[in-house]
Amino acid sequence: MEAPEDNSQLLKDCSPYVKFAKLDELLALGRANSLWPLTFGLACCAIEMMAAGASRFDLARFGAEVFRPSPRQADVMIVAGTVNKKMAAAIKTLYDQMPEPKWVIAMGNCAISGGPFVFPGQYAVIEGVDKLFPVDVFIPGCPPRPEALIEGLLKLEEKLTGKRRWPVVKPE
Amino acid sequence: MNPAVPEIPGDSPLKAAQAPAEQAAVTPAVAPWPNPLAHLQIPFRAVDYEVKGYHLEVTVAPGEVVAVATQLDKEGLALDTITGVDWMAEGQMEVVYDYFHLAKPLRVVVRTRIPRDKPEIDTISGVFPGANWHERETHDFFGIKFLGHPDLTPFLLPEDATYHPLRKDFVA
Amino acid sequence: MTEKADFLTGDVAAGQPPRETFVLNLGPQHPATHGVLRVKMTMDGEYIVRAEPVCGYIHRMQEKMGENRTYAQFLPNTSRIDYLSAMTYTHAFVGAVERAAKIPVPPRAEYIRVITSELNRISSHLVWWGAFLLDLGGFTPLLYAFDDREKILDLLEAITGARLTYCYYRFGGLCNDVDDSFIKGTREFVAHMRPRLKMYRGLVTENIIFRKRLEGIGPISQEMCRKYGATGPVIRGSGVSYDVRRVEPYSAYPEFDFEIPTFPGGDSMARYLVRMEEMVQSLRIIEQALDKLPAGPVMADKVPRVLKLPAGDYCYAVEAARGRFAVRIVSDNKEIPYRVKLRTPSLSNLSLFEEASKGMLLPDALALMGSLDLVIPDIDR
Ligand code: SF4
Repeated sequence: MEAPEDNSQLLKDCSPYVKFAKLDELLALGRANSLWPLTFGLACCAIEMMAAGASRFDLARFGAEVFRPSPRQADVMIVAGTVNKKMAAAIKTLYDQMPEPKWVIAMGNCAISGGPFVFPGQYAVIEGVDKLFPVDVFIPGCPPRPEALIEGLLKLEEKLTGKRRWPVVKPE
Repeated sequence: MNPAVPEIPGDSPLKAAQAPAEQAAVTPAVAPWPNPLAHLQIPFRAVDYEVKGYHLEVTVAPGEVVAVATQLDKEGLALDTITGVDWMAEGQMEVVYDYFHLAKPLRVVVRTRIPRDKPEIDTISGVFPGANWHERETHDFFGIKFLGHPDLTPFLLPEDATYHPLRKDFVA
Repeated sequence: MTEKADFLTGDVAAGQPPRETFVLNLGPQHPATHGVLRVKMTMDGEYIVRAEPVCGYIHRMQEKMGENRTYAQFLPNTSRIDYLSAMTYTHAFVGAVERAAKIPVPPRAEYIRVITSELNRISSHLVWWGAFLLDLGGFTPLLYAFDDREKILDLLEAITGARLTYCYYRFGGLCNDVDDSFIKGTREFVAHMRPRLKMYRGLVTENIIFRKRLEGIGPISQEMCRKYGATGPVIRGSGVSYDVRRVEPYSAYPEFDFEIPTFPGGDSMARYLVRMEEMVQSLRIIEQALDKLPAGPVMADKVPRVLKLPAGDYCYAVEAARGRFAVRIVSDNKEIPYRVKLRTPSLSNLSLFEEASKGMLLPDALALMGSLDLVIPDIDR
């Protein structure tokens, strides 16, 4: 058998044009740059989610503007609002219907912990969607600002690729 | 379909298409005023609107609510809402019917009390179909049975709920 | 396409589902229901035999919470009932407490309440406008609407600190006075919004496809409105000029000159036109209030820290963006209310849907539902 050809020079020459990576990393990069959220408005927080997708905040800048009405076409579920016991079964079904790989963002205090609607003797709300299925990113606020939702999506990207794509803006 | 869709004329569609102006004829809600429902055989009490927020109130026997509703319906009043109050210490449930007039400043409150251990009262959904949902909601919250109601299944609570959360002795 | 199927309605009236029917489940997660409303539809082909809304998927115990918190603690809850017109909802609760505790509100505070409530009404109608057209299949109007809405939110955020769920009104006034930049900004906004509304008219209202989609669709009669207690743009779109701001004047509204837009049609187009015209009237009110804005404090002095209302019940009704919103507080002279009842407009407005949608085509029924302008947490509370 011939000795393997030394192609290190070749690799060096084409390195400005070609990048080599593991397939997983490539896929993760692709997924991170085109997250398709499920259109799933529950309550007040959903309006801020709409605002994030609309004119000023323009989620399309980050590739996450394709809101899908069907769970079968979505890969990230943004739980924006209060989940109560009557709704819990439906939302669990939606989660199960999403194809793998899938991620969940809990947007707002209600989705994180039941938010303002938790008191001794409460009979309706689920105290956090992480009781129903795993959650990747929590965005606090009542409601969180659209900027916070965008930051949450960037955090999810970071979780997928291990790298942060955009600089962190420090408050002045 | 009419092929010729009429133009909306002018700059402001209001000017052209408005119903005949009947708006200015509203008298301000001052406290002592002639009772516009004095001709009915219902013993209304006048209430100070500035303090209470309604003009007339009456307490009737549980059997009379349908008759009162029929009379108020003839007078052109609309049903605002129906609700309950649980007076546990007195062993009673209060059912409160709110009505409002569409053209005059006139709000009417009809109250009745029923025993707490046998909370049953006739439905007024035959007179005001809008009462259907309000009564269902009151049944959800207080367990008050509206006799003759077409469908008293849980409205806001889960389908299988058997509890009545707004009763004062409710524990989750 | 738009006529009701007569062969069908006749049979339905007799209580017999005609021919072969099937059940179509819409929601609770469906883009056309604006949240988590579920509608169980019995269909004959494309025609609706019976559409029964199923509510409660976002019931949040607001009334139970009212019995668990002091008046001040419950106040932020009211802005989460109908989050799109949070200002008017807090106004009703604050008003009921002020009425019962006999707290006088300074005139400047009342004027600013009117200005902010009307700004909030415009922003609410803008969201409805965008979302309604989204239902009908046009995406772009949403972007225009949110563009203008963000301008309102900027103004309100500067004085209230919140973008959506304001808790700006307090018992006895406001938590914060407005500054010159707010007044200047609001004037600029009014000047900006007028031509925009004209543009919306050219862009959408006069569009022939849009009009054919709405005119004659989902007629609601005056009698039906009264029987179901529907209020707001729904009843005004049926030609009844019922508006709480006029019939039971509250706050500083009697001091302004404005019209109550009514359209006699009763169809979805009439309701659409009512809301578009209401925005014009709101701009008028805002302008007058800015002109007449009195000086002085924005908070009554000596409001007790711990409020105890005298025993009895107290009501306060306001005209929210969706209609009449009324609060009833039953007090037993404690720090915590004995009972809080919230009468929300969306519940009554939706309750007529079952009757109004009989025999309609499914896509037309969705246009009707959109024209009712539902906020689901407002129904379920
Ligand atoms: S977190 Fe606050 S804003 Fe969001 S849904 Fe819950 S109550 Fe509404």
